[in-house]
Amino acid sequence: MKRLSLFTTCLIIFVGCWVFLRFIVGSVISVPIPGSVVAMYMGLILIAILVHISVEDSRFREFLRPLRETLVDDNRRVRRRVVAVLVPLVLLAYTYSIFAQRANPPGNPRDAHPSPPLELTYKDEVIGKMQEVENPFRHYEKDEPEAFKAHVENGRRVYYQNCFYCHGDDLDGQGHFASPLQPLPANFQDPGIIPNFQESFLFWRISKGGPGLPAAGTPWDSAMPIWENMLTKDEIWDVILFLSDYTGYQPRTFGEGH
Amino acid sequence: MTRRYKKITFLTGQSRPGGRAAWAMLLGCCALLASMLSVARAQKAPEASEEGKRVYEKSCAHCHGIEGRGDGSAAENLLPRPRDFTRGLYKIRSTEAGQLPTDQDLFDILTEGMPGSSMPGWETALSANERWEVVAYIKTFHEGFKENEAPRQIDLSGKIAYSEQSVETGKALYTELGCVECHGNVGRGDGTSAPTLTDEWGFRTWPANLAQGWNFRGGGDTEDIFKRFIGGIAGSPMPAFEGDSFLHFGLASEESKRLTELESKDEMTEAEEEESGKFYEKMDAAVDIALSITEGETLNTEDRQTFDNAMRVVYEKSWHLANYVKSLSPEKRPEPAIGNNVLRAQYVGGELPALGDAAWETLKASYFPVVGQIIVEPRQFNPTLDSINVKSFYNDNEVAFLFTWDDRTHTTALEDEETGKKVLEDALAIQFPVKVPQGPTAPKPYFLWGGRLPVYLWHWKASAPEQVTELTAKGINKAEVQAVQSNIQAKGTYTDGQYNLWVKRALKTDDKKDLQIEPGVFVPIAFSAWDGANGDVDTNRVISSWYTFVLEPVPSSRRFIYPPLVALLSVGALFGLRMFVRRRNS
Repeated sequence: MKRLSLFTTCLIIFVGCWVFLRFIVGSVISVPIPGSVVAMYMGLILIAILVHISVEDSRFREFLRPLRETLVDDNRRVRRRVVAVLVPLVLLAYTYSIFAQRANPPGNPRDAHPSPPLELTYKDEVIGKMQEVENPFRHYEKDEPEAFKAHVENGRRVYYQNCFYCHGDDLDGQGHFASPLQPLPANFQDPGIIPNFQESFLFWRISKGGPGLPAAGTPWDSAMPIWENMLTKDEIWDVILFLSDYTGYQPRTFGEGH
Repeated sequence: MTRRYKKITFLTGQSRPGGRAAWAMLLGCCALLASMLSVARAQKAPEASEEGKRVYEKSCAHCHGIEGRGDGSAAENLLPRPRDFTRGLYKIRSTEAGQLPTDQDLFDILTEGMPGSSMPGWETALSANERWEVVAYIKTFHEGFKENEAPRQIDLSGKIAYSEQSVETGKALYTELGCVECHGNVGRGDGTSAPTLTDEWGFRTWPANLAQGWNFRGGGDTEDIFKRFIGGIAGSPMPAFEGDSFLHFGLASEESKRLTELESKDEMTEAEEEESGKFYEKMDAAVDIALSITEGETLNTEDRQTFDNAMRVVYEKSWHLANYVKSLSPEKRPEPAIGNNVLRAQYVGGELPALGDAAWETLKASYFPVVGQIIVEPRQFNPTLDSINVKSFYNDNEVAFLFTWDDRTHTTALEDEETGKKVLEDALAIQFPVKVPQGPTAPKPYFLWGGRLPVYLWHWKASAPEQVTELTAKGINKAEVQAVQSNIQAKGTYTDGQYNLWVKRALKTDDKKDLQIEPGVFVPIAFSAWDGANGDVDTNRVISSWYTFVLEPVPSSRRFIYPPLVALLSVGALFGLRMFVRRRNS
């Protein structure tokens, strides 16, 4: 087999690196690498190639040889014609695709975990400081297991009479009303939800719903209702107990380092 | 006595002990092989255990009740109601009419859920093992499952492949068999009896919209549809196709045709009277045999032959009908109007197409799914509308929209049963922001009819189909009719279970409370819709999230100038390079 020319080798390395960065790495880490980062890497690779071929005069000439042959040699006529047709065609297609591109709608960025206000309220009644309020029924878990069970059961009733339409039978955010909503309802089976928040935060998000989000929480698309208009204070605390009981995730507590 | 054949009576799946187990055997080796294969696939549930009870009480009891009566805490607000397992009436089965489901049937429903209802699929939430345990536990609620006899499964071996011709045959049968009465002329569930139907438990129920196969409870495949025909949908008004619930049961296809022909005559000759009399005798005999099977009697060979012949006709017709029903729906639920499916109004040079213009057929509709409004009371937990489909054209001065949605009833003025006051009617509201937010992080108005930021609405009502009212709203209960109404042309029609609403407005108006529309600008759009017959009024409605639409800019003509120029330049550059290298070589 004929040895590959220096030009072909460099071309293969360059294209291979691009394919690797653009497609393969993205599928391995399941998030595509941003275009700007790929461009940066490709720039470095290009510089490395240029350095490599220009170290010696002879190597540089060797690198250019296939190009020169293609352009002028009589026995490269076929290849020359192919290049003369392909290059303009590719450029034509590429520039046309840029001009014909359709505008795409703006994205929908949002602050999924907005910062809560300093005070926790239910309707107009102040319950306490956001950082201090605890679930008034949480202590039953140790003190009175029977009473705790009753609260969880009440939470279950509240959940399946109000919440499961969107948040789902299995609390996975896939209720039968969920799919047309944007953003999708929260998935409580996701370990990033319940364990990350204190119960007072959950109370705030449930009681004030989408319209109670701070200005930073725009663009105001959450379909979460203002539950303090429909549920009592105790019902909200109970449903929070149910969420952690069903999923097995404990909300964050005010640890010692707090 | 002849009347009983003409009218379809609603079998509601009464239990029918005893059997016609020999039916499958008569269809020869092929059928036998097929049924053996299907038995090999089907699994049996394990013995009921504590594990099944645990999973059931954690994941099922909130709807189906601790004792399986379908009376869990969530049940009250759900339609269709969660299944009452103690009755042993199962809608979705692979078994014949009046039979219990197989274990595999129950397992499949648990796995896949029931689209269009509140029953979710449990494939990811529960392991296969847990699902089998639940199947075993559910069976303990009904005595019938304790009998050892396996339920008779519907034979699918005679499947007639999908073809244009089969669909045509099925279409004719659709009218002939009386499907139209409930499912409507073209299958949108808008038949004359649609608003009157209730299920076995007395709850309001609607005939399936056959154009929305993605909502079929038991799946939208041809086999699924066929099984609903032969087995019926127990507890619902959908009859199983057999005995006196099937038109001309006992007659061959040609005989049935002849009888229809005879019956359509104003007056019959004596010979014709005699001929039709013979047909009636034949049908009587077949129905009597069906009844005797129901009563558990064993058949003699001759009766068995008669009955099997009658069922063979039913099976054949059902396959054609299943192919027709299959042809009414797209392969899957359309993708919502985001990403590539965003609503893009197309530019036209002159006058915008009017309602009914063929130009509308050239556009693909964007699909906007809707859900019940359960954010503000009173809430709609059981919506009847699925989606709004939209197409749009614009020219230099105006924009026209065509909104299409399926609604089983045409309601313009219905008295609310509860209050006796409010008049219920079908309606649609199209919502835009008053000002288009600049940039993706700029706040939009609250999607439910605005809040701090107002929304601009087009409100259309079925009782005034040629009028759209402009509203400004700052909340779902804070809508005001605009003092200055712009000139908006509208025309709404209702045909065969479907509304088509055509609306045209100038791109720019003088009113500061109106949305001003510009080509190339993405504008948020959302919908509210009301189905009067479902009790929808005020906040009781279906809603959508914010979507976007754009007047698709006319593509720049530069796309025909610059790319060829670039290509030409590159040819020149290659040529120049060649000249350069040649000169250096020499």
